[in-house]
Amino acid sequence: MIKKVAIPSLFLLFAYFIISNANAKVIVAGIAIFLIGMHFMENGFKLFSGGALEKILEKFTSTIPKAIATGFLSTAIVQSSSLTSIIVISFLSAGLLGLTEAIGVVFGSNLGTTSTAWIVAYFGFKVKISVYAMPMLIFGVVLRFSSETKYKGIGDILLGLGFIFLGISYMKEGFETLKSSIDLASYAVEGYPGILIYILIGAIATVVIQSSSATMAIIITALAGGQILYISAIALAIGANVGTTVTAIMGAMASNENGKRLAVAHFIFNIITALATLLLIYQLSDFVDYLSTFVGIEDDNFILKLALFHTVFNLMGILLVSPFIGIMVISLNKLFVPKMKKSSKPKFLNDAVIQVPETAIYALRNEVINLYDKSLKAMIHAMNLHREDIFSNKELKDIVYSSNVKLNTNIDDIYKETLKSLYSEIVRYASLSQEHMNNEERMVTGSIKTASRKIVKSVKEIKELQKNINHFLLGKNLDIKDEYNLIREQLAYTLREIESLRKDDVNEIDRLTKMETVKIRIENFESSTNEKIDDLIRTNKINAHMATSLINDSSFASHICIRLLEIANIIWISDKETQEIGEDNEY
Amino acid sequence: MNIKKIVKKIDDFFNLPQKKQIKKNKKIDSIREKLINKKESLEKSLKKVKKCKEKEELKLQIKAIKNLIKKATIV
Repeated sequence: MIKKVAIPSLFLLFAYFIISNANAKVIVAGIAIFLIGMHFMENGFKLFSGGALEKILEKFTSTIPKAIATGFLSTAIVQSSSLTSIIVISFLSAGLLGLTEAIGVVFGSNLGTTSTAWIVAYFGFKVKISVYAMPMLIFGVVLRFSSETKYKGIGDILLGLGFIFLGISYMKEGFETLKSSIDLASYAVEGYPGILIYILIGAIATVVIQSSSATMAIIITALAGGQILYISAIALAIGANVGTTVTAIMGAMASNENGKRLAVAHFIFNIITALATLLLIYQLSDFVDYLSTFVGIEDDNFILKLALFHTVFNLMGILLVSPFIGIMVISLNKLFVPKMKKSSKPKFLNDAVIQVPETAIYALRNEVINLYDKSLKAMIHAMNLHREDIFSNKELKDIVYSSNVKLNTNIDDIYKETLKSLYSEIVRYASLSQEHMNNEERMVTGSIKTASRKIVKSVKEIKELQKNINHFLLGKNLDIKDEYNLIREQLAYTLREIESLRKDDVNEIDRLTKMETVKIRIENFESSTNEKIDDLIRTNKINAHMATSLINDSSFASHICIRLLEIANIIWISDKETQEIGEDNEY
Repeated sequence: MNIKKIVKKIDDFFNLPQKKQIKKNKKIDSIREKLINKKESLEKSLKKVKKCKEKEELKLQIKAIKNLIKKATIV
């Protein structure tokens, strides 16, 4: 309720402030145009490079210095640290980049963002590139109409540059006009209290605008307009650096562990850099004055000096923090551990007994049964059925015909959240335990691993079946509905029979016989379905499209049933010779 | 029939050391015997059963056991 009232009220207040104050209108418009320019630049490089940035990040980040250099260059060229961060996080999650290298890229990216200050200070003021902003916009728009992605990308880059320089020009104009009515520099507080106030203002401005580059552009134009003193501008620049980490942390709240680790690393880097710069602010300022004589910056050119200061303090931060990346990585990995859902944690696998083959095999077999049980629910729900019905004494035909409500089971989610990590643990445990086993024991473990793979495969295949089950069951054609109900009945029958042979009082010969009986039924079902489909097509009860779906799905369902029986053979028949007899030589 | 699989099984069987081979033979014989006994028991039950559904079920189980006996000969 408060949000619904507060946000529109703030919006109206802001609108009133802009409309009533001509200078504010020009400055804020300049910021908005600058921001849209940054957006077009980022988009343009994405289209133009065609994945080149990703390739560069993948290839040139094998060491920390390389990672820092790559982060610096990619951000300086693309003019977007957020794009670099997004790619780094996705690479980290996919395992293409380690956390150490990823942190190196982020540090380098921080240095890369200082290039914006140079572009604004040099091209915006020294070269007066705003003159070329209009032609850049015109050609940018023209190129955007091209059908080729590369030219569209160049168009966006030109539009971005044009808007950036147009934005700077408006901000400059706004601040210059503001000077005639109010001199903000006269309100500056001296000494460290003043510096701290400006650091805070810089941080808040960056959090609000969501871009440290935009804040730097404002600082430079305000400095150029004489609205702030050089030392205040330095403090604002430090604040902008701190503000950008707050933005990154806010964004990382909804992210995975990798995003969080990088956000914290970024935060630590900027806080340490800010603290070090604060302590040595006057010394650094003197050092920048000294450096300026070597790079050809005039003594009174404070905007270029500010750009140099921005670069120097970020470089100082890299030199200070980089030696501790290793310690940071260890601490971050401990701090942010991926949360495994309780249901996806193994119940029986114990690393303490991994070296004892018999116990390890026993634990693995039980864990695969655990995986099967968890998969069972997903498979049954995917067919819009319920466990308690399938494993009851009710007629399967009646259960299937009465269960018409779509259960909207998301197999992908279930797999990712519950099954994948359990399956991974089984594979890991099996592989490690095999080191301590003889040939025969290794074969047994190997077949248990195979059973877990088949379980996961069955779950994924049911997902394919689910689409057509839902589509045709909700349709109007009763004949196709009947056929899909038979498919559901076949799968339910197989699951029910497997459940019945799990009981302890069933001996292995009876289990074997039951599985073979089910296999024969499935074969009979498949051949009778094929005959029926021919008949349904001949009598025009189903069209060719339905027929092909039905042929594929009934074959699919038969394969799933056979695979489930293969799983049951491995898990519930422990005698090796009996198991071998149960293995299918026919399919 | 998957000939390759059968050939592989036969090959594996004859590559086992002799003692293990004898042990395996004995086990398979024992399983085959149990299957034959089960088949005979089901055939006796088939003669007594009158309901169509139960007859069909028993015939299916007998067919299944015949398949298993065949497989046990190959293993």
